[in-house]
Amino acid sequence: MKPDETDLISRCQKGDQDALKEIFDQYREKVYRIAYGVVRHREDALDIVQEVFIKLFRSIKHFEGKSRFYTYLYRMAMNTAIDHSRKTKKNPTSSIDVEGGVVPVDAIENRPDRIAVRKELGERLKRAMDKLPDDQRTALIFREVEGLSYQEMAEAMECSIGTVMSRLHYGRKKVQESLRDYVNEGE
Amino acid sequence: MKHPCSSVSELVEKYLDQEVTDQEKVLVETHLFDCSSCRDAMKSMEELSTVMKVPLYEIAREEDFDRVWLKVKREIRSEEKHSWWEVFRSWFGFATLHQKRVWIPTVAAALVLILVTVPLLLKKSPSLPVEFGVEYVESKTNNVMVYEVEESKVTVIWLFEGPEAEPTTS
Amino acid sequence: MAFRRSGGGTNNVMKRFASFSTFLLILIFLSASTVFAQVQTRVRVIQASNAGSTIDPSLRDVHDQLGSLFSFTSYRLLKDETVSLSPNRPVAIPTHPGTALEIELIRKQKDVAEFKVKIKREKAEILNTQVRLSPGRTVVIGGPKHGEGTIILAITARF
Repeated sequence: MKPDETDLISRCQKGDQDALKEIFDQYREKVYRIAYGVVRHREDALDIVQEVFIKLFRSIKHFEGKSRFYTYLYRMAMNTAIDHSRKTKKNPTSSIDVEGGVVPVDAIENRPDRIAVRKELGERLKRAMDKLPDDQRTALIFREVEGLSYQEMAEAMECSIGTVMSRLHYGRKKVQESLRDYVNEGE
Repeated sequence: MKHPCSSVSELVEKYLDQEVTDQEKVLVETHLFDCSSCRDAMKSMEELSTVMKVPLYEIAREEDFDRVWLKVKREIRSEEKHSWWEVFRSWFGFATLHQKRVWIPTVAAALVLILVTVPLLLKKSPSLPVEFGVEYVESKTNNVMVYEVEESKVTVIWLFEGPEAEPTTS
Repeated sequence: MAFRRSGGGTNNVMKRFASFSTFLLILIFLSASTVFAQVQTRVRVIQASNAGSTIDPSLRDVHDQLGSLFSFTSYRLLKDETVSLSPNRPVAIPTHPGTALEIELIRKQKDVAEFKVKIKREKAEILNTQVRLSPGRTVVIGGPKHGEGTIILAITARF
């Protein structure tokens, strides 16, 4: 843990909201990406970010520094996102976004057929991810979205590196099977 | 030396994730050079990674996180205000007191208690005679005498200890 | 989608409030019934003798009451204790070395209270009696020897 991060955490544990703001600024996009990776919906992902940092402020006094802070935060973010995803499945109120919601610069990608492909890809990806068991989905998001190492993933998921590799392997395999047609078209 | 796909395929993922040792890296790269099937598998995994990753970084950069922070701050501040008073209120349920399912059982319990205890408290036991009296007196070791002093309304219970123990009397 | 706070544990709150109220009511009832039935009982341990002519000022009433019965010339106060008696809870009061008085409130009505009184010497019971007292009335129990005199116990009830 970096010395300045240690100080930030310590201040946050004492209830310093400015310290929480600094942590928020540092990790907000990472938490958002994890959340979005699960729910594939921007507003829901923002709600999850809000919930995660509120939970963090309440629970950080129990953080003892035995693991790295960001793995602790990522685990919280993933659990919150998965819980949110389960609740949403029971009471679906939103549809997923158009994939990315980003207006590509590339003129080719602006073509209606490409937009349609991307939207469908996003839907297929969400469905494929939803079908995965929580641990495989978590492993994929941590690796593919956040680029965590196996060691970091093991810490965040509280399991061995071998288990991480196994979850990644089966998660990738299942998602690839679902997306095979669309991945090939992207070539 | 060519290694079969089965022995290298596990390493391909590790290679993709940049988790291989130098020795394993050489092994995988040598195999990929010769094996189109494993190259395709790796490419497939790379594309999956791209599909999952790239849009998210772009979306995240565009989000209005200031709005999120304001909500976080508001929520934390409202929790702080609810300090001891909220704890007291929530513990004793004053906030929910108006709810039927809270006050009805409480009132019912209170009524039952009153109906049971009041008769007990007011229960008339057989009356004792009002004036002073000695119900009984016994001693296994001494002779006992009871004296009534009419003028002062005092009753004396006297224990005799041996023949010489009789009190000096007026 | 608006952020939702997690729902309160209303059932838990309700249970807690009901439990607390019930507990409070029971406590009030027990306290009330206990206080209601208590009797203040004054016990004076007196050494009466014919050695000297000192009469302790606080024992004038006893001397006056017993003067017609006994001719002790000296009344010395050894102990003056007031105890609060609750029904069926005996209280032991040492009177003089080797001897103790045990007094228990049996029941109490508006103008009269009933007591069980025992005197024990070296744990052997030498007297066992049950008396009724009206407020302010005194029962005197005497006879055990102590030094040059005789022990007299004056028991007065106040309620």
